[in-house]
Amino acid sequence: MALARYKNWLLWAVLMAVVIGWFGWGGRPQMVGLFVASGLAVGSLYALGGIGIVVLYRATGVLNFAGGAAGAAGAMTAWQLSEWGLWDPIGWLACLAVALAITLVYGRLIAPRLAWRETVVKAVATLGFALIVLGLVSFLWIDDPRAITLPTDGIGVRILGMRITATRLIVFAASILIVFGIWLFLARTRVGLQMRALANDRDLAALMGIPILRVETIAWGISGVLAGFTGLMFADLIRLEPTVITFMVIPSIAAAICGRLENLTVVLLGGLSMGVIENMLTLSPVLRGVRPIAPFVIAALVLLYYQRGQRLTFGGRD
Amino acid sequence: MLEIRNVTVRFGGVIALNDVSADFGCAVSGIIGPNGAGKTTLMNVLSGFVGTVSGSATRDGQDLLRLAPHRRAHWGLRRSFQKEEIADDLTVHENVLVQIDHSRTPAGHKRAEVESMLALVGMAERADKLGADLSGFERRLTDVAKCLVGQPRVVMFDEPAGGMSVDETRQLGVLIRRIHGATGAQVLVIDHDVDLIREVCEETLVLDFGRRIAFGPTDAVLNDPRVKAAYLGTEEV
Amino acid sequence: MKRLFHVTPSGWAGFALAAFAIVVLPGLSSSYWLSVFTSAGCFLLAISGVAFLYARLGMVSLTQVGLMGVGGWVALRLNHAFDFPFEVNLALAALSTMVFGWVLALPALRMRGLYLALVTLMAAGGLEILFATFQFPNGGEGFWGVKTGSSDPFRRPFLAQSAEDYLRYVLICAVLGFLFIELHRRLQPGRAWALIRRSEAAAMAAGVNVTLYKTWAFGITGLLGGAAGALLAGSLGLLDDGTFRASESVMIFALAVVGGARSWQGALIAAILYKVLPALLNIWGVYADLSFVIFGAGLLHAVITAPDGLAGQALGGLKALLRGKDRRDA
Repeated sequence: MALARYKNWLLWAVLMAVVIGWFGWGGRPQMVGLFVASGLAVGSLYALGGIGIVVLYRATGVLNFAGGAAGAAGAMTAWQLSEWGLWDPIGWLACLAVALAITLVYGRLIAPRLAWRETVVKAVATLGFALIVLGLVSFLWIDDPRAITLPTDGIGVRILGMRITATRLIVFAASILIVFGIWLFLARTRVGLQMRALANDRDLAALMGIPILRVETIAWGISGVLAGFTGLMFADLIRLEPTVITFMVIPSIAAAICGRLENLTVVLLGGLSMGVIENMLTLSPVLRGVRPIAPFVIAALVLLYYQRGQRLTFGGRD
Repeated sequence: MLEIRNVTVRFGGVIALNDVSADFGCAVSGIIGPNGAGKTTLMNVLSGFVGTVSGSATRDGQDLLRLAPHRRAHWGLRRSFQKEEIADDLTVHENVLVQIDHSRTPAGHKRAEVESMLALVGMAERADKLGADLSGFERRLTDVAKCLVGQPRVVMFDEPAGGMSVDETRQLGVLIRRIHGATGAQVLVIDHDVDLIREVCEETLVLDFGRRIAFGPTDAVLNDPRVKAAYLGTEEV
Repeated sequence: MKRLFHVTPSGWAGFALAAFAIVVLPGLSSSYWLSVFTSAGCFLLAISGVAFLYARLGMVSLTQVGLMGVGGWVALRLNHAFDFPFEVNLALAALSTMVFGWVLALPALRMRGLYLALVTLMAAGGLEILFATFQFPNGGEGFWGVKTGSSDPFRRPFLAQSAEDYLRYVLICAVLGFLFIELHRRLQPGRAWALIRRSEAAAMAAGVNVTLYKTWAFGITGLLGGAAGALLAGSLGLLDDGTFRASESVMIFALAVVGGARSWQGALIAAILYKVLPALLNIWGVYADLSFVIFGAGLLHAVITAPDGLAGQALGGLKALLRGKDRRDA
């Protein structure tokens, strides 16, 4: 029994080793290491997006496609404020605040109207909201190349003979800390316990007197702040472009799928692995052009792997 | 005879069914027990929606648990759910027809069979009504007709009388008793209405906390002090 | 048998409208509008594929425009590589897109409905990247068939060389697409789908092979999407990766729901909103950039209050009007 559980981890570890070994073959270890490191950074973003999705989904039953759009709005706000000459940290706080506000608007005003509909319908509604937010953001800021820089972009840290940007390090550390923090929150605090009860069985939780509205609002809030942070980091590390940031929800979904929409640790590791594999593909002259589709292919394969030998079963509510 | 042997079901740490065995040989058999006893779980095992840790369910030499869920229906298993699952967009006739769509008999035969079963349950005049336009009782009758087409061998009803008036329940009871004569199938009935069970079932299985606590002729079982204790939670009658 | 060929009032209205459009519309349109209407016709075919999947089975596909791109790619490649007539290219494009769609959806078809939405959204993102990287065939060499400079011509159907005739051809294909879906609905697949929509458990208990029928339905969606893409290639002669972005797939799904996924009227409204309305706004010089906002809001509204979309509300209003009239006449 125990062996079966460890079998998956072993498989994953072997796979990662094979990929890194295969693509890194013949390169200097430091260079390969740099690819792995920046892959970890991008992967952290995928993981953070996935974590936001999973936490919210477990607590409210809503799979939020609009997280990326909220993050994009936040990132553009931060950029705009710094264009107007405000001190940078104000912009960062504004980013978090805007993403939080947008997410709460949906969570408190629109989501309750759909509370008893099926999961797919609730997810489709967030798609509509994502289109609205993306439309407004594109309208307010016309299509122009823009960039956000953080002070940590210029700082390099020497690890194992490699020079790694501080921003990348922060993002990676943040993803691990946030997962740990959320785990602590869910496992050790009262609200976390209530959130787990809600995720387990909403009707029963209501009957037990758990303040659903308050717990859900907190879940939406966490999701909003995460979206803002992820959006800002994405804007810094990849590109500050509303459509691109909005659709970063796609690799986040890929990471969330790895964790079967429930296991945060697997989401984290899935996201990180996707980032690394995607980055390692740069070293292959053949596959380099299609490396951005790596997260999707990985998620599809993981999903197929989960289903092997399985029949559709009905255990409880969907 | 449907032989259920050593069926055990686990959901994580909870043991939903614990080594349940029973040989259902009568035309109509009942399954009763307090809430959470595992009655619907047992039916879900037979339907194929829930996996077992161990156990078998054999009839006519075939272990049902080895077949895919939709193939059990082809074999002759029929299931009616607590909530009648009738498609709103289809007519009564079409709803029943789905059950035998897969078989290779000519369309004319299928139509005739659907019509004869609809006549048996009393829905023949309403064969062209859409599911959305039916009353609750009519939906249940359509559900029953669906269970009777295509040479059924085992028909399972999960709380068929839920939400019905006394008259409707009585009508349903009469209908259930006619099933074996009309189709040769044996019937399993889960219900909380003890009067219905006493009226309709020749033998009854009683479950409590996933275990079998009594099985045998219905009257004997219903008078069993252990059964009364399980329902009332006391040692005394 | 008679029920199979029975035409409802709505069906007669559809045939009448189609007849009008096929006979009269091409003559009335300038070349600008010919191209707009032809485009709308292609997307109408694709939208019908997505709409029926959602309305009849509750399955969400967020990659239909991506699948159109696949169909278009195959049609272009075949056209430049071989000498088959257009119809052969069309059929091969539709079939290969159907198979491609199956491959994409495979991970999700045995899981909860939500996973299909997720997987198709990921597929849409992936296809967007593939189209941008490899571009569309224009007569070049090699598997990808791309060359610099001007592209080789695309052979249109023998019967439909001119722009007017091609519009007619596309409209006829759209009508055939609707009839194809309706045929399925009236036969065994339609019954199985209706029961699956109600409850997958009940469907399985009734002997329906749920995975098979869900796969079949998704196959139809892919088939129609691929055909639509091939038709679009025939209309434009050359395809651009900007047409097949992930956001476009999300948009036409949104519009299918807004228009009304249950009926052909809804699909028609969706196609008009997607192609004709922006063309109009373009001519009038009105700012068309807020389309995302409007359609997103429309989707939200439709999901919350009007599940049958604009068409459903219009048809409901019409029925109420007629019922009121009957009561007055009686």
